[in-house]
Amino acid sequence: MSRIATFWVWGVFGFMYLPIAMILLFSLNASDVMAFPLRGFTTQWYQAILADARLGAGFVTTLWVAFPVAIFTTFFGAIAALALTLYPMRGRGVFVVVLLLPFIVPRLILAVSQLIFLKEMGIDRSLWTVIAGQSILILPFATLIIASVLIRIDRRLIEAAADLGASRWSSFRRVVLPLMSNGILASWVISFVLSSSEYVLTAFLSGREQPLSVLVASDFRFNISPSLNALAVLIVLGNIALVVLAESIRRRSGRKT
Amino acid sequence: MSQPVDKIGNWLALPVVAALTALCLAPLLILFVYSFFQVDFVTILHEPTFANYAKVAGSETYRGLIARAFGSALLVVGITAIIGYPVAWFIAKRVVAAKSTFLTLLLVPLYSGDLVRIFAWRVLLGAEGAVNRSLMWLGVTDTPFGGLLFSPLATHIALTYNYLPFMVIGLWLAFESLDDAWTEAAADLGAPAVDRFRRVTLPLTLPGLIAGGLMVFVMVAGDYLTPQLLGGASGITIISAVNDLFGTAFDWPLGSAIAWTMLAILMLCFGVGALAIRRSSFISEGT
Repeated sequence: MSRIATFWVWGVFGFMYLPIAMILLFSLNASDVMAFPLRGFTTQWYQAILADARLGAGFVTTLWVAFPVAIFTTFFGAIAALALTLYPMRGRGVFVVVLLLPFIVPRLILAVSQLIFLKEMGIDRSLWTVIAGQSILILPFATLIIASVLIRIDRRLIEAAADLGASRWSSFRRVVLPLMSNGILASWVISFVLSSSEYVLTAFLSGREQPLSVLVASDFRFNISPSLNALAVLIVLGNIALVVLAESIRRRSGRKT
Repeated sequence: MSQPVDKIGNWLALPVVAALTALCLAPLLILFVYSFFQVDFVTILHEPTFANYAKVAGSETYRGLIARAFGSALLVVGITAIIGYPVAWFIAKRVVAAKSTFLTLLLVPLYSGDLVRIFAWRVLLGAEGAVNRSLMWLGVTDTPFGGLLFSPLATHIALTYNYLPFMVIGLWLAFESLDDAWTEAAADLGAPAVDRFRRVTLPLTLPGLIAGGLMVFVMVAGDYLTPQLLGGASGITIISAVNDLFGTAFDWPLGSAIAWTMLAILMLCFGVGALAIRRSSFISEGT
């Protein structure tokens, strides 16, 4: 029983990593055709990607979007998580539903509704509209990450601070904030990753300056080349590194409390 | 669970509610208003009408596409439940020290983004791709299957891949809170394995199954990119129809009506699912 389950789990994890392994393999393969048998080792596809000025500019645009998005979602996610856990608000149930709405609504429908909204308001599309749109989409994730750290905080610490005469603000600043700081960091990193890989909403809301994901999507539709493998591998590795970083930060906070 | 309601909590939530209102609720509301407008060549007539909803309800194409979206969603929920159930059990009950490593490993491919994942499946499933080559090497076929990519099969493989982790997380949470004493007691009382699963484990993990299934269901029904880029001719979905109506076809009101029809059905499903979770967890707490 247990052995079958072990095989099953290995199989499922294999399935999850098979596509990633495949693009890694072909990104180093010295052939224009993405097919077996492999033709030998090359780094030419990576060199082609790193030398591509258009993609380089797109990457910089992605960073310009992802930094503010991660700051906004983490700030709003933090106050939302506090209102849900340590400082319970009125109407929590309704709040949770509204908070999850950007996650439930199909992304394309959210994108077109925001597009109509911009048109009605007479706002032109720019990087700011991308930042606003992505922020609301990623907010549920940021809130969940920070809330998952907050629910593990021992309430007695806050009560003790109050008993010892600490004001609300100083107990927040000197007890709660240090304990939630790892959650804040993890939320920032995950939001950054989610923002940089977001495509549908970004494509609808971006104006002339296009982030990397939008540029990649048009390449992907019109000319598939092995250098796209190299780009995909770089994106995946960058994201994995950041996610592992975020997870280890978040987990460290679990051990401390 | 009953905590004193905190005034500060209300003030903290206020900016979040404002942001959600401005960037999500208000746009959806305007979309709703648009769904009652009409379009005349290139101008939008602001006279309220139900014509768009009548068109959606009366069109066999749209009805078919909506039914297919939810059919696909149910299918993927079923597949991910079957694949994910043993994985969730294993992580909750057999892994001791490295639990969060397993969960992180499961989630990591999610963060690479839709485009990268779809691109990888294109490489895998293409005529010269790894799957075809393996099949030929195994002697299953002499010529590569050209129909592997750009088919409903490719779409559903990728959809399963995309949303399996959500199902596993939902089930894992249920398994974590499942007390082994119940299954042990059933075994001591002589219940065979099949009955233990059917009458103890399954009912007690039902809330997780519904929660995971609900997430997968909603996300598959609303997925635009995966069918579009892997489905070929079968990639026309109700969501891509909305996209076309907002783009080339320029009929925003009809697009809005279709979008709101989808939203209404999804919200209904979510409401029913939430109720079902509450009832099933009530059962598992009550026993």
